[in-house]
Amino acid sequence: MKSLSGYHGVVLDVDLSSGKINRKEIDPKDFRNFIGGRGLGIKLLWDALRKPGVDPLSPENPLLLMPGAFSGFPLPSASRTCVVTKSPITTPKKSKHKHASTITYSNMGGFFGPEIRFAGYDGIMVRGSADRPVYLFIDDDRVEIRKAQKFWGMGTDEFDRAFIDELGDRRIRSCYIGPAGENLVPYACIINTTARAAGRGGTGCVMGSKNLKAVAVRGSRQPDVAMHKRFLELLEESRKGFEGTPSTENWRRYGTGSALIWASDIGAQAVKNYREGTYIHADKIGGVAARRKIWQRDFACFVCPLACKKSGRAPLGPYAGIVHDGPEYETGTMLGANLLIDDMEGMMKAIWHGDDFGLDIISVGNVIGFLMEAYDKGLIDLDVLDGIDLKWGNVDAVIQMLHKIAHREGIGEKASKGVHYLAEEIGRESHKFAAHCKGHSLAAWNCHYRPTQALCYVTANRGACHLNGHSAEDQNSTALVDSTGVCLFAHRGYRENALADIMEAITTREWSSEEYSKAGERIYNLEKSFNFREGFRREDDVIADRFFEEPLTIGRRKGAVLDRGQFEEMMNAYYAERGWDSKTTQPSKDRLKALGLDFV
Amino acid sequence: MSEQEASFPKLTIRELFHPPLQDRRSFIKMMVIGGLTITVGGVVIPRLRFGVAHAESPQFSMILVDFNKCTGCRTCETVCGQYNHKAVVNGEQLLGLGNPYLSNIRVYSFNPDVDVPIVCVMCRDNPCIEACPVEEDEDGRRALYRDPKTLAIKNDPERCITCGACAEACRTQRVEAIVPNPKTNRPERMCTLCDGDPQCVKYCPYGALDHIVGGYIGGSHYGLPAEKIAKELIERWYGVKLGKGGARG
Repeated sequence: MKSLSGYHGVVLDVDLSSGKINRKEIDPKDFRNFIGGRGLGIKLLWDALRKPGVDPLSPENPLLLMPGAFSGFPLPSASRTCVVTKSPITTPKKSKHKHASTITYSNMGGFFGPEIRFAGYDGIMVRGSADRPVYLFIDDDRVEIRKAQKFWGMGTDEFDRAFIDELGDRRIRSCYIGPAGENLVPYACIINTTARAAGRGGTGCVMGSKNLKAVAVRGSRQPDVAMHKRFLELLEESRKGFEGTPSTENWRRYGTGSALIWASDIGAQAVKNYREGTYIHADKIGGVAARRKIWQRDFACFVCPLACKKSGRAPLGPYAGIVHDGPEYETGTMLGANLLIDDMEGMMKAIWHGDDFGLDIISVGNVIGFLMEAYDKGLIDLDVLDGIDLKWGNVDAVIQMLHKIAHREGIGEKASKGVHYLAEEIGRESHKFAAHCKGHSLAAWNCHYRPTQALCYVTANRGACHLNGHSAEDQNSTALVDSTGVCLFAHRGYRENALADIMEAITTREWSSEEYSKAGERIYNLEKSFNFREGFRREDDVIADRFFEEPLTIGRRKGAVLDRGQFEEMMNAYYAERGWDSKTTQPSKDRLKALGLDFV
Repeated sequence: MSEQEASFPKLTIRELFHPPLQDRRSFIKMMVIGGLTITVGGVVIPRLRFGVAHAESPQFSMILVDFNKCTGCRTCETVCGQYNHKAVVNGEQLLGLGNPYLSNIRVYSFNPDVDVPIVCVMCRDNPCIEACPVEEDEDGRRALYRDPKTLAIKNDPERCITCGACAEACRTQRVEAIVPNPKTNRPERMCTLCDGDPQCVKYCPYGALDHIVGGYIGGSHYGLPAEKIAKELIERWYGVKLGKGGARG
């Protein structure tokens, strides 16, 4: 099969049950239609799981590590790896399928994705399950499943260092899980290169279910491009687009940490388990303070001019000696503002533990916030919490909880199942403040005054997702960016239509912007169709009552609350625009056909 | 080729620090400025250009890394790969696609976060050339020699006996920039200085690399292995000892 320019045409297919390693050739049509990364991932997942209700933690569920179509080329910020699999955390209200859950995709930066392409693959598909802990070693054509017993139980930070010692080459890139993934916490994450995480949707849990501690990759190759000269022109132009812009400067200085302050100012931050949108102490945990007190250095992903990752240390106080990124927007809100923690060093320690255990900080911050509120309201007592005094702002109690959850001990076992489970356990209307969609925790953005933020959460194909997009158009565009492997933050540094032009230069296929946007819609609809087949319906596209019933009491948006009528109207308009049935959310046959999804 | 050029590789350390008279004043001046502003892993290394290359005689030059500015993005690797491994497309020679595996500069990443770009430091006492056992030809060249135009280290594949002595000298005495090719054992990753316009310096988005023309930091002082540099930086930035038992968490 002649592959398309710009691709190797091969996905590495590893079956951990049988030990079989296979070079799976990909139909060029799939590259054309689904591009790579998230898009190609969902197509491969769809092909692998031909029926609904497959247990996400069973050997059948493939774990897909997908670089994008731009990964492996020196294009600015094309560094992302999209992890695609069937989610172990999401669940529909009702379904005839026992293990019904959504797809999930989770995106991580660093160097891992490009290295997969350097090794000569357009992705890695891990199927089956090893009977004891293993890691996967890939060095171009040399692929080995190796024993990992001695690493089992190791935190991600220690493992990151120990693994390099084992492999003996600092140029090898790897991703791995921590104790949370090993212990099958449904919202465990995958981490690569010192705390860059594919955080959401329980990718680490699926990896743990396969007894797979890590994947290490080193490569010497690169795909070719169709229009070499044109590609070089676009490369040069793209590099220049980032130079000296205010946005570049802001990313470099504060990373996403700047949002800790402005999101709070505009009332959009998740504060006190989503009760408020403004945190009066946001300045104490924000990027400006971190730059002053903690951060030592800025770090970038592969060929990224933004360097939004920071690295620092806690210099003083009871948490002195902690070395870590410190606050980003999501981590700083979910383990900071959302828990009313204003102690930056303490919060940094909590974030370090979360990463070290391999927990999704967004989900775990949400769960702990929920428990804090339930405890504060007297719905649960100290006994339920195994004696952990989960008062608002108690950072040491939070650290204890992280340990409990990662090891699924006592209250940690219940908390590991997510807020939807806890709300059912606790009852007494606690579901009204359980901030999730389809069982997946909301992220660090509140939606009291922004109905489109609620739309973004409830319509996301992986359950609540803050990066999904606030309209159908944005969502299609996001799906595309995730498929090219370009960072969602950085893609705005490219000029309009640049990504489509680059696709064209790489593949020679003509990419009109219309064609390009259609691919985004196609990817989104295939994901949606997967979820629909599992049994997700309109009743699952809902969000906590809190946002409709409890107006903000402080900040610039004091009094803001969502209006149910308006929300339903907005949702109806959304389904109509999508060509989905507004009662069931089923994508129409016509629309699917127009998108080339006849096989659904 | 003038006699001076041909004889450059034979300079002793003593001769190095007593360069020919016409250059000496400017050389000393550069050394003073350099000494004042540059400390290895120091606080600030301004973007300086030392001197101007003379048309008639080649100027020594090197790439200097500011570890404080490096973010580990590896843009340098890709542009090095692009320039030094060009592609021929429809008979036209164009920049390559920038495979970092082909790069002569290499960034090594550590935990806690430190990134150390390693590139040939152009040691004037060139232990790599000294180690080459191949006899000098009529131009005074061994299988490893200095390019007469840029003074960068080059390998003559015709005469190289692939013994690996040059790479071994670099590994044991300097930075392990020059390495043997895993298949042929021929030395590779010698910095070419991109014909006088190093692409890594030009494209580094963070200004972490400088092309120092005429100045010289001293191979044995500046050219340390990545592990050693990282150890010092990690201690200084994070107050942590590298390796086992690091005071983490």
